[in-house]
This record gives sequence, structure tokens and C-alpha cells, in this order.
Amino acid sequence: MASPNAVLLISFLLFSIGIAGVLIRRNALVILMCIELMLNAANLNFVSMARHSGTVGGHAIALLVMGYAAAEVAVGLALVVAIYRRRDTIQVDDMNLLKG
Amino acid sequence: MESAMHAVSTPTSLLGLVVFLPLFGFIINGLTGRKLKNNKVVDLFALGTVGASFLISCVLFVKLIGMEEGVRSLHQSLWTWMTPGAAVVNGGVTHATIEWAYKFDPLSGAMALLVTGAGFLIHLFSAGYMGEERNDGRYYRFMAYMNLFVFSMLNLVLGANILMMFLGWEGVGLCSYLLIGFYFDKDFAAAAAKKAFVFNRVGDMGFMVGFFLLFMVAGSLDYDTLMGSFHGISALPVITLFGHTAAPAFWFNIIGVCLFLGACGKSAQIPLYVWLPDAMAGPTPVSALIHAATMVTSGLYMITRFNFIFVQAPLAMETVLVIGSLTAIFAASMGLAQYDIKKVLAYSTVSQLGYMFMGMGAGAFTAGMFHVFTHAFFKATLFLGSGAVIVACHHEQDMRNMGGLRKLMPITFASMLAATLAIAGIPPFSGFFSKDEILWRVFEQWYQGGTHAGSSLYLICWILGMLGAFMTAFYMMRLMVMTFFGEYRGAGNDPHHLAVASDPHGHDDHHEDHGHEDHHNGPKEVAWTMWLPVAILGVLAVVGGFLNLPLSLGGGEHFSKWLEPLLYREPAAAVHASNVEYGLMIFSGLVWAPFAMFLAWRFYGADAVWSTPKAFVTRFPRVFAWVHNKYFVDEGYQAGIIDPVVKGSVGLWKFDAGVIDGLVNLTAWLLRQGSGGFKRLQSGRVQNYAFLMFLGFLAIALWKYLA
Amino acid sequence: MESILASLGQHLFVIFGLMACAAAAVMIFSKSAIHSVLAFLTAMLCVAACYLCQQAEFLGVAQLLVYAGGIVVLFLFVVMLVELSKFREKGLFQAQAKVALPLVVAFVGVFSWFFRQALFGAPSKEALTLPPEISGGLDVAANNAQAVSRGLFSGWLLPFEILSVILLVALVGAIVLAKSERA
Repeated sequence: MASPNAVLLISFLLFSIGIAGVLIRRNALVILMCIELMLNAANLNFVSMARHSGTVGGHAIALLVMGYAAAEVAVGLALVVAIYRRRDTIQVDDMNLLKG
Repeated sequence: MESAMHAVSTPTSLLGLVVFLPLFGFIINGLTGRKLKNNKVVDLFALGTVGASFLISCVLFVKLIGMEEGVRSLHQSLWTWMTPGAAVVNGGVTHATIEWAYKFDPLSGAMALLVTGAGFLIHLFSAGYMGEERNDGRYYRFMAYMNLFVFSMLNLVLGANILMMFLGWEGVGLCSYLLIGFYFDKDFAAAAAKKAFVFNRVGDMGFMVGFFLLFMVAGSLDYDTLMGSFHGISALPVITLFGHTAAPAFWFNIIGVCLFLGACGKSAQIPLYVWLPDAMAGPTPVSALIHAATMVTSGLYMITRFNFIFVQAPLAMETVLVIGSLTAIFAASMGLAQYDIKKVLAYSTVSQLGYMFMGMGAGAFTAGMFHVFTHAFFKATLFLGSGAVIVACHHEQDMRNMGGLRKLMPITFASMLAATLAIAGIPPFSGFFSKDEILWRVFEQWYQGGTHAGSSLYLICWILGMLGAFMTAFYMMRLMVMTFFGEYRGAGNDPHHLAVASDPHGHDDHHEDHGHEDHHNGPKEVAWTMWLPVAILGVLAVVGGFLNLPLSLGGGEHFSKWLEPLLYREPAAAVHASNVEYGLMIFSGLVWAPFAMFLAWRFYGADAVWSTPKAFVTRFPRVFAWVHNKYFVDEGYQAGIIDPVVKGSVGLWKFDAGVIDGLVNLTAWLLRQGSGGFKRLQSGRVQNYAFLMFLGFLAIALWKYLA
Repeated sequence: MESILASLGQHLFVIFGLMACAAAAVMIFSKSAIHSVLAFLTAMLCVAACYLCQQAEFLGVAQLLVYAGGIVVLFLFVVMLVELSKFREKGLFQAQAKVALPLVVAFVGVFSWFFRQALFGAPSKEALTLPPEISGGLDVAANNAQAVSRGLFSGWLLPFEILSVILLVALVGAIVLAKSERA
């Protein structure tokens, strides 16, 4: 069984890798995947705290978050497809129409 | 010194009407004239209000005659204008208030009669003279301004305190501007109006300083209070103001000189006279009313009103005397070389005003005021007559293109001849009794009954005055001969080539479509609305002298006696005339002036080709050029004062545009540069925004630990 | 031999966790998008294993179903749809990567330092086993699915229903967004 310290550490590392990925990569799909990674890290934390306190709240939240993440991925990928269709690229550097 | 001055006044309720009737005329004409387009209505209000003012003034004057000599004063206080509160003045603290009040006493009553009477006659003349404007839709404006002028002038003369006089002072300056610049679409008219206003303002500065000081010394601006308290003030050993202690005479000198500076501006004395000749750009009735009879005499009225100050201020009196005589001869010399009929009369006005100031400077206040009245009569006659001549000659103003009008305009000729004889000082016309009285008084100050005890300044001024009188008679006769005698030189009838190619739509012209068809008829006598006022004023110029027949000739000196209670001076010591007085009278009236007129007749009348003047001009071209160009005084002002000021202004403008605007622009530039830097944050890329969000999260998360 | 397995079994969570971190690192540093997706799949599987190590069986299986089975497949399809080989010229990393990566590393270091007590210190004194009175009659660890479902349909019903609405909205939105532009 895992001590809460370990869980915290692992989830923190996963989260920071996710952030690094969002800030580093040029590919929109990889960015989306890193966002999913961050959500998973948070889920890990929830589950650990639920286990630690003996309630089901953390499990329920984690389950709901998974559902939200799925919906978000669906819409996000649809966006990526639409952008690709319009501009033939999904490099985020090219998407600067809001440039002021 | 004894005087009959007092502070008692009888209240009356008609005075306000005298002043405010012309104001109503102005308001009604000004507001409705443009819409109604009915010249008869305009005439009714304009002439009616001034005429009614004149009638009421007559009624009040008769009432004044019926009162006792010591208490001859009517007043009416309409409301309290200003309540300054406590003011620290010479004697302590004063709580004087300033009323909107009028005072009808011998001096102001006579002036009110003159203003309303001459004003009415000139309004009547304008009804005929401004013929084209009647059809133009501009007539109502002219009459409205004239009414406003009469209102301001009445405020000036009837005001019961200095601030009322100042209100009228500024008002007549404004109306002068409005009326000179009546044809505001002509550049020279607008420039002349501006010049008049600016020079008036320079004088007004002196006037203001003068009456501020007077308030500091006396603690009040009200005439009755001033006249009552002046005895006490002049008896003080010293007066301390602004930390400086001096005898009262010192302060009176300063006040007198400052007030005289105001009079110089308004009454066109050296060095502020240059606006008056240019003011001839306005219509002729304006020149007659404002620049001959009324506005320019306001300076003299002011000096007579404050005679109690001037008499105590010998330096101020000398200044008045010297400037007056210099102006008299200087302007008369300029009148010798002018060809425009109105310009000759303008310089003549400046010169005659110099005579009036000369009289006041010598202590002869009644003689000076009497000359004001006689001058108003004959100068208004001359101006209105010249206006009639100008209209008859189809707006021709150059005398070289006139001539022979004696047979064509007999009534105008007769009136102007009477006025010319009056201004030349031929007895028994009015000018003799006023101008010669002034010259005699100046002479007497030097002569002192045979002892020659007076300062020789008076002698010099008397000589200058006599020379000026010679020139006056000469140029007036020249004007008459050139205009009325010989043959008419206009319309191409010029056998001796004396006419010049002048712009027939000259200075007094208004618009282009008046009747061209009557250009080919010769000049003929004008309508009754024009010759009647001229004739009336001409008759007054003839008989007016008998109001102040001097004692030496057996007369009663009514005018002088009328004004005497207001004067703070010694009663006349000489009660019997000396032979010197008679001798001078005969010399100047029967020898000196007629000789000048004879010379003018010789040069211009008997000699059809004007050979002597032409020879003079050819012999001395430089002299002629100097005199004809008014001694280049205007050019001197332009180069010496106006150009440096303009240069300074240009420099300041450059400073404003460069430095101050530059600072403002610099601020804007800095902001733009700053925002340009911030603009780069808006890359439009989501990942940059995500990065910034991360940074923000870091900052918030570590806030507690960083602090 | 049993002791190695036993000690391995005790630290299973940490092993799977580190494997997940490694897979994530591969994901963000790999050149090819397919490799990234496969690394992502690995990370999801490892996270599911972590759930199982925490005795959250229901969630672990749900993770496998949703993430590994659904989301990864979606990603794969989109990656195949978007032919990325053409667009490699611009480079793998963004312009701000030079600044961002060190910053993130610093962030990790700083937070680890600030939260060192929670991360590396002694665990709290609460028991790691569940006290019976708060498990509501059901042992979350032993009867995980029942406990979770009981909680989901009683106390957490509203978010559950909202989730269904959100899924519907996402469905509609995805179809609208990804529709082709003809007609």
C-alpha cells in the first residue's frame, strides 16, 4: 500500500511533466495529451486522499473528472480537426490570428 | 479758495428715462430689425427715442434753471450696483457703495442737451444719408448702434459717479468700434475700427489707474461726496499710500496725469490721436456724431468734472496745456496737405480738441467747455455738409474732383460757409467767442495784467495757438474754395487737369448696385432729411456765440456763470478789460484769420490752375511729402511698437508650439512606445498565454512564502 | 526470493508511478506523434495500475475503459488523420521552450522544498486501514465498487446527472465542429 507521501510525490511529478509538455511542445495533440496527464495526476491525489480518509467522495470526484475529461477530449479533438481542415496545420505557433 | 460746491441734490424720476429710452430703441431695433425689414419702424424707434430723450432733457433743464444757484442738481439712483464691503483707503476704512445713479447738474445737463439734440439731428440726417442701406437690410443695424452710442454717451455725461462715467466711457469706445467698422467687409474699415479701439484702450489704462488712485485718496467715487470732501483732503499735510508719503499735490499730479492719459486716448491728443483720421472709414454721420460732437469731447467733460483735482495739481495742468497746444498746431499743419475732404475735417477736429485742452490747461475751464459746444455745432455742420456733398457727387471724397457746387447745392453751401467762418474765428460767429476766449486766457496767464509775471510757457503756447489758428483758417477756406467754387471737375469736366483718377466707389462706398443711371447727372441739392439738420446746426454755429459773450464786450457770460458753481477756483479777478484784450481781439478776429482766408482764396480760388501751391510742392517736395504723409507717425508706431511686439509674440508662439506642444507630444510618444512594448505580449498564441498563466499561478502560490 | 517479491509488492505503487513518469517524459520529448500517443497509453496503463495499488478497483477499471480504451483511440485516429510528417520543419519545441523548461524545473524544485514535510516527511498517524464506523457499513477497500456506486447515487447524484448532460453537449459539439463544410 502506498503512503500518502509517495502518492503526493508521484502525482506532483506527473503534474509538472504535464505542465512542461504544455509549455514546450508545438504540436496541438501533444498539448492535449499533456492536459489529460495533468487531470490524471489530480485524480491520483483525490483517490489517495479518499483512501486515507475512508470516504467515497474522492472516488466519486475522480470518476466524474474522468467523465469530464472524456468530454473535453472529444470537443478538443473536434476542434483540432476543424482547425486542420481550415489551415492545414496544427502547429500552435501558426495560430496567431488574435495577434495584437 | 471758495466754491459753491455742495453735496445736495434733488431727486427726480425722469432722469432714468432720458438715458434708457435710447437703450430701448437699441434693443427693439437690434432684435426685430432684421426680421421686420421695415425701415419706417426702425426710423420710428431710433429717431423717436432720441427725440423723446431730448424733450425730457429740455424739461429737466428748464427745471434746473428754475432752481437756486447753490442747489442746482437733480439726481436719480436706480439701484445699488456694487457693494465692495470694506475698503482700506487713505482715511481709514470705507464702506462706500456704488450706485447706478444719474446726476443732472449744470455741466451734465448742458452736455445731455448737446448729446441728445445733436444726436437727434444726426439721426435725422442718417435717415437720408444711409439711403442704400435702407434697401440693403443693413439700416436697422446702423440705427441700433447709433442708439446704443447715445445711451453710452448719456451714461458717461449723466453718471453720478466715476464708475458710471467709466461704463459710458467703455460703451462709447465699443460703439465707436462698431460704427467705424460698420462696413466690416472692407479691410481698411475693420482695421480702422480695431485701431480706434486699441488706442482707446491704451488711454483707458491711464484713466483706470487715475480713478483707482482717486478712490484710494478720497474713499469714494461719487461726485457729490468727492466735491464735498475735497476741501478737507487738500488741507491735509501729507497723504501716505503704498508706503510712500507725500504732499497731496503730489498725488493729485499723478491722478491728473493718469486721467489726462485717458482723455488723450478718447479725445485724440498726442500721442494717441492716430486713430481719428483713420476713423473716417466709417459712414459720415458717425464721424459727425462721434468724432466731432460727442465722444471726443468726453475727455474734456471728464477734466471739467474733476477740475477740483486739476486745479490742485500744477504739473498735470501744465501737461494738459503743453500737449493741447502741440496737438493743436501739429494737427493743423497736417490738415494743410490733405485732399480727402473728410481727412481735412478729421485733422481739424484733432486740432480744435487741442485748443480745448489748451484752455483747460490754462485754468479756463468754462472757455474750454464753451468751445466744446461751439465746436460741436460748427464741426457737425461741416461733417454733415461734407456728407451731403459726398452723396451728391456720387461718393466722391477727393476735393480735387469737386468744385463749383455753390450753385448746385446752395443750402449746403450756405451752412458750411457759416461753419467755416465760425471755425476760423471771425466775429460775430460763435467760434470767435470761444476760441479767442481760450487764447486770451492763455495769454493772460503770461501777461498777468501787464506784469509779465506768468511763466513763459504760456507765451509759447499762445504763439503756437495763434499759428494754429492761422493754419485753421487757411485750410478751411481751402476746403471751401476747392469744393464749392470754380467749375465742377467731376464727370470729366476738367480743363485744367486738376482732378485725379480716384476710385469713384471710394472709401465711403457700400455696395455696387446703387443707381448707376444718375452718374451722368451732375450733383444736385440733397433731400430735406439731409439739408435740414445741416441748416439747423449752421444757424446754431452763427448765433451760439452769444451764449457766452464776454464781459469786456458788454455781454453777460451766461454760459460761464452757468457752470461756475461747479468749479473749484478763484473767482475772476479781472473785472474790467484792458486795452491789450481789445487789441488782441481785433487782431485775431479781424486781421489774422481774414488774412489767412484771403491767402487761401488767392491760391485756390482766384487762380484756376492753383499755380502757387503747385510751385510750392515742386520746390519743396520733401516737405510736402512729410506733411502729406502725416509725418509718418503711423509708420513710426508700426516700426517702433507694433513690429517688436509682433516679433515677441511670434517668439512666444514658437515657444508654445515647440516646447509646450513638444512636451505634450513627448508624453504621447512615450506612452506609444510603452504600449508598443506591451503589444508584444499579445502574440495571439495560446501557448504564450498558457505560459503567462503558469507564471501567474507561481506568483500567487509563492506569495505567502516570498513575503 | 519471497522477500524480494514481498518488498517489491510493498513498493508497487512507487514503481508504477515512476513508470508513468518515465512514459510521460517520453511522451513530451518524442519526435513522432504516434510515439507520443503510445507513450501516453503506457502512462495511462501505469496510472490504472496505481489505482489498483490503492485498492480503488472500480476506478482503475474505469480508467482503463475510458482513457486507454477511448481517449487514446481517439488520439490515434486524429493523429492518423492529421498527417504530421510534412510539418516537421518548424521544429519540435516552441520558441518559449528555452525559458519554460528551466522554469518548470525550478518550480518543481521550489515546491518540493516548500512542501518537503508533506512530500518526504513521516506519514501522518492516521491508520492506513479504514475505521469501520465511517465506511457506512461497507468497506470501501473490500467492497470498492459497491461503496463507490452507493456514494455516487446518493450523495453525488447531482454531479453525476450533470456529467450526463455534459457528455451529451460534448457529443453534439464534437459533431458540429468536426462536420465538413459542404452544404
